[in-house]
This record gives sequence, C-alpha cells and structure tokens, in this order.
Amino acid sequence: MLSRVAESLYWMSRNIERAESLARIIDVAFNRTVDRLAAGSEPARRVWSSVLELAGGGDGDIPSFEGPSLANDAFTYGTFSTENRSSVISCIRIARSNALSVRAELTTEVWETINSMYLFVEAQSPRAIAREGPSSFLRKVRDGAQSFGGIVDATITHDDEWSFLQIGRFLERASMTTRILKTHDPADDSAPEWQRLLEMCCASEPFVRAQRLSSDPSEALAFLFLHRSFPRSVRFCTSEVEHALHRLSGTAMGSYSDEAERLTGRLQAMLDFVGLEEILDEGPAKFSARIGARLDAVGMAVQTSYFPRIPVA
Amino acid sequence: MQPLLERYARVDFYDEFADGDGVPRSHYVGLARTLRSIDWSDFQHRVATVNAVLLQRGVTFTVYADARGTERILPFDLIPRIVPGDEWSLIKRGIAQRVYALNAFLADVYGKQRILADGIVPYDLVFSSLFFNREMIGFKLPHDIYIHVSGVDLIRGRDGTYYVLEDNLRTPSGISYVLENRDVLKRSFPRLFEHYQPLPVDDYPFRLRRALTNAAPFGNVEPTIVLLTPGIYNSAYFEHTMLARRMGCELVEGHDLIVRDNIVYMKTTKGTQRVDVIYRRIDDDYLDPLYFKADSSLGVAGLMDAYRAGNVVLANAVGSGVADDKAVYPYVPAMIKYYLGEDPVLPNVPTFDCNDELQRRHVLGHLDELVVKNTNQSGGYGMLMGPSSTRLDREKFKLAIEANPREFIAQPIIPLSCHPTIVGEGIAPRHIDLRPFVLYGAEIDVPACALTRVALQDGSLVVNSSQGGGSKDTWVLD
Repeated sequence: MLSRVAESLYWMSRNIERAESLARIIDVAFNRTVDRLAAGSEPARRVWSSVLELAGGGDGDIPSFEGPSLANDAFTYGTFSTENRSSVISCIRIARSNALSVRAELTTEVWETINSMYLFVEAQSPRAIAREGPSSFLRKVRDGAQSFGGIVDATITHDDEWSFLQIGRFLERASMTTRILKTHDPADDSAPEWQRLLEMCCASEPFVRAQRLSSDPSEALAFLFLHRSFPRSVRFCTSEVEHALHRLSGTAMGSYSDEAERLTGRLQAMLDFVGLEEILDEGPAKFSARIGARLDAVGMAVQTSYFPRIPVA
Repeated sequence: MQPLLERYARVDFYDEFADGDGVPRSHYVGLARTLRSIDWSDFQHRVATVNAVLLQRGVTFTVYADARGTERILPFDLIPRIVPGDEWSLIKRGIAQRVYALNAFLADVYGKQRILADGIVPYDLVFSSLFFNREMIGFKLPHDIYIHVSGVDLIRGRDGTYYVLEDNLRTPSGISYVLENRDVLKRSFPRLFEHYQPLPVDDYPFRLRRALTNAAPFGNVEPTIVLLTPGIYNSAYFEHTMLARRMGCELVEGHDLIVRDNIVYMKTTKGTQRVDVIYRRIDDDYLDPLYFKADSSLGVAGLMDAYRAGNVVLANAVGSGVADDKAVYPYVPAMIKYYLGEDPVLPNVPTFDCNDELQRRHVLGHLDELVVKNTNQSGGYGMLMGPSSTRLDREKFKLAIEANPREFIAQPIIPLSCHPTIVGEGIAPRHIDLRPFVLYGAEIDVPACALTRVALQDGSLVVNSSQGGGSKDTWVLD
C-alpha cells in the first residue's frame, strides 16, 4: 500500500473517532447540566470547563471562556468552531478530505458514510441548533461515526488498510479515555462526578453491569483504565493497536521490529500488570498524564515507521 | 396534471425523438409511453431523489473558475437517449476506423514521416503544433500503440447524419458519468430497462484494464498498472478514483512515484514497488519537471527517461496530442484514405484552415456565421460562436486570427440534434452530442459506452460541462 494512503487512512479514522467522542462528551455535558445544575453554578462551570479542555487539540492552547455564556461558548468551540482544528466540524472536514484523497481505496459504502456526515454537518445552522437544542445533531454525528466503524469492519478487507484504520481508531480512543480521566477533579470524588466520567466514556451501563452497586470511585477508575474487554478502556485500545501493528509487520507478539511496536508493547505490559493501588498512590491525574504522553509517543513512532516525511529514495 | 409530452414543442433541427410529423420514432415509442404515464410532480420527485443520490456519492466535478474549488454535480437528465443498433454499428465502424488511422499517423510522424514526405499533411502544420513532441521522434513504442483511450465527439446535422466533431486523444473524461448515470437510472426506471434491454456499460473498467495490460512491455503478462492523477482538486478526480477502484489498481499522485535507474517505483508501506503501466490523467506538460514544466509538482522527475528506456508504458503516449490538434483535424479523412485505403465511414464537419490565405479571407468575412475555435484550447474555452457574438468579440477574434492564423480554425455552425430534456417547466428539446469511448489494446475495442452531453440552456449549442452542460444516460440497443 502507498505510504500516503496509509497516512490518510490513519488520520481519517482518528478524526472520525474523535468526532464521535466529542459529540458524546458534549451531549453528556448538556444532559448533566440542563436539568440539575443551575447555569453558572460551580459544578456546571466545572463540567463545561472539562468540555473545553477535551474539545481542544490537547496541546494546552485552549481559549479561556468565563461567565454566563461559558456553556454556549464551550459548545460552539467543540462543535462548529473552524478555528479549533479539533472541533466536530473540523474533524469531519479533515476526515472527508482524507477520504477524498484515498477514495480509490475505500469501498463505496465507507465513502458514502463519510460524505453523508460531511454534507450533513455542513448543512447545519448553528443558530437553529442553539434554538432547538443540540441533542439530535450530536446524536446524528455519533450515529454517523458508529456506522462508519461498522461499515469499515464489514466491507473493507481485514488487511493492511484495515490495520491502519484500526490503529487510528484505537489510538484516538485510548487517548480520549485518558484525557477524560485527566479532567477528573481530585477534590471531587462524588458519585455525580464519576458518573460524568463514565458517561463521557460511554461506560456507565457496562460499568453498572460489571460492578453492580459499587460506590467506590476507584472501581470506575480501574474499569476505564484496565478492563480487559470493555472496548473503550485504555488497556483494550492499546491491545488493539498492538495487534494491528504486529499484523502489519508480521512480527510475533512479545517481540518488536520497530519503535512503534516497542513502545506499544511496553505500554501494554504496564497496563496488563499495573495494580490499582499503584495508580491511586501516584494519583489518577498524574497517571493519566503519563499514559497520555506514552500514547503520543506511539503515535509519533507510527508516523516515522510507516509514513516518513522524507521519502526513502 | 397535463401529460408531460404535450408540452414538448418541436423545433427546426433533427429531432432524435420524433419525426417531422411529431410521431415518436420507432425506438422511442416505449419511452414515450412511459413518459406519458408519469405525472409532473412524480417526475420532479424522481429528479430530486437522483440528485441527492449523486451528491451523496460525490459524483461531482470541480469548477475551476471558482476560487474555492466548489464541487458540483454534473446536471443529470433523467430522460435517456436511445441509439438504435444500426446507428451504433455505423458509429462503431466509423470511430474504430478513425482511431486506427490516427494511431498510424502518430507512428508515422514520430517514425518515417511518410505522410509528410508524400505531401498529404504539410510538414509545417505538424511541426508547429504545440502538441508535437520532438522527444518522441524515432522512439519505438511497444506494440506501436499511442492512443490507448480516446473519446470521439459526434454530432448530428439537420438530416440526422453523424459527423465527427473532435477526436479527443489526450485524456478524455466522462466515462464515470456513463457508469453512474446508468446505475442511477436503473433505479429510477427499472421497467423501462426490462423493455429496452440496452447493452451494459459496467464492463468498461474491465475492458480498460485489459487494454492497459496489453499495453505493457512485451512478455509482461501481469503488469503493475497505476492511474496517475493530478489530485483531489482536478475536475475529473471523481472519475480517477472510480476507475482505479473498479480496475483494482492504485491511484497515485506524482509524489507517490520515484524513478531510480530509469525504473519507476511507487512508495509503499513495505518499501518500493515497480510500476509497469501508467494510465496517466495528467497532460504531457506536467509529466516530468526535468523535461517539461520545471515548476510542476504533479509529475515525476525522471519519468521521461524511464519511458524512453522502455521500462514503463504511458497511456496515452506522450505527444499523441498532435493528432487531435484542431488544425490537423481537417486532414483526418485524407489520413484514413492514406493508411487504410478506405473512405471515411463518418464525415468531418467542413472546416476552414485559417493558415490558408484564401480560407482565412473567407473566415474573416463571415465571422458572424461561423464558429471559430482556438487550436490550443479545449472544453469550450477560447471559442467564438458567430451568430451570438458581439461586434467587439468578433473584432478581438479578427485581430487574433490575423496575428496567429495557425492557431485558429472555423466551421459552419451545425445545428446539433435535439432530444427531450427535463427543464424547469416541463420537457423541452435541448441540443445534444455523443462521445463514445474507444480502447486500443490487442485490437480496437468499442464498448457500448457513450456519453450524451446536453446543452441545458434553451437554444445553446455548447454542451461542455464547464459551460453549463449536463448529461444523459445513453442506451445503445443491440
């Protein structure tokens, strides 16, 4: 496969995944504030600040909105802002432009899903959404992204193309789960705060099923970081990335042929064997930051291994 | 609601649909019945559905004049154009004959130049063509094939005669519309398809692949074929992706390729892979910055050397454009006679060569009746439509022709045939042309794939998509 194609597939997949996460995060913020938290109250402010942080590119360059319009500003920044290269609309535009450049490699079904999402988002009027509430808009973005995932799995041959899509999807998801956990306020171990974190990771129902009536916040932390088979836990996601990398290179699991495999393997081993107490000792926020940095390093290593900027001529 | 066809007023041109008394021609009777059975609101509903499908699929072209690179769907007209079997077999023979002669002409002008020595085509005319490529002289191509893919534009005169208007030998586009139009129309009028059973079009990518496979250097039976595109901003990008996808070959941009030791490779995630055949959809001038435009980033440095070393095949061959230079066009009937000893099956449109003094004087005296075309431009650009032109337009062309007579030809205006077409207020006659595609692999192959372009503006004779033309599904009958 062409390196250029691999790179476009990777970014296309990452951006669709990101649009989905962001749409969910914003929807959760609405649901959690609209009926129970007075606009402008401290807990509401905290929820919307977390949205702002997650909607940014992760490079710390986030505008500081304050005051009564915080909720509106954070919503716009996360959805329709074209200055924010990580907003829902930016992600979908980037994904669509990537899809266009690899149109020949995509199945028609996959292309049409992305193109429809793009046409849908471009046709929205932010003002109408502000009037009627954002839920149905956010829902459609999520639906589109999830159909994309399903259609990719069901129509693209599970070879190299698919592996690059998987790497993009799961690296983004691992990194988003990590960033969501990083927004946890250490001073607030209340049930609603943990409920927010679980919902933003689409984990509240699976968590309840797994843990029944647990009220120990650390159970939720373990679930989101370390669960073996919940598809949005960091451990599950890195494992998918690791498998995809090994499928690409043909190297046996447990060994490595390039930096991307080495870094992923090392991170995977840590998540497989780390104890919850260790995380609690270090502090969830610090631990999240450390994992986040390692995930970024994996992303960089995938770039250098598979789509180097300087051609090998 | 009043039946649709009663709104169709006949005009003074050849009407594809009905004869002089307004009675549908025999091959249109079935369609006429269907059209009468559908009411206008239903029709409009189908049109809206079809447009939504095309937009979702991304069947769009880019409008260059628009700085933002706006994507638009090529207007698609739901009423199909029907070509009966006997007409199609004439067309098929005519364009195959033509492409054969044009290919022989190219092999000749880049080889022994017999046709020039024999005085059939003037030396000056060939050597002064912008599209004549000196690098190609004396270079023997595998199988002597220059024109692997062409699209010949046909129009019909008042009496229904098919004329060849243009031979598009460089990178003719439009085949994706043929394939998409058929696909979309099948969903709109399934019953009508059962009735007519038009020849299928969807084997085109397979036949193209077969022709390109045959183009490979001798002995290479499983060549690696790629389609070279200028990229996502090219107006035909959708078509490039569609053909690559359906042929199962890589779609590459210039920077995906490198040349080492005169061999072309593509850069993949597993290192480099050798490329044997390039179906290039970029013009000669952009192929290789070392030979042509140095500032072009679309091509591949070293590609011409690899080509001349015989290590890679380009389809179509570099320099093919000299054979479809508009000023060479008047000589095509003579070429057919010269190389095949046959009379042309399909006539040319009478053409005045402005380089000839006598003819030029006639042209300058009749600018208001003629269509004048610049030989270096295409796609409906650089054209003067005499009868609808202003005095100022004509004055400008007069000066340009006098300054550079080699660059202009003129033709009488042929009133293109008309076909029922959906317009805002109902169904009305609009002018159409026909572009069948010709493949040249082991032999000449004419698939039943032809694009009908339609001038959507009332009275307009310009069908180019860049000038507001649309397209129709074209049914070739057995």
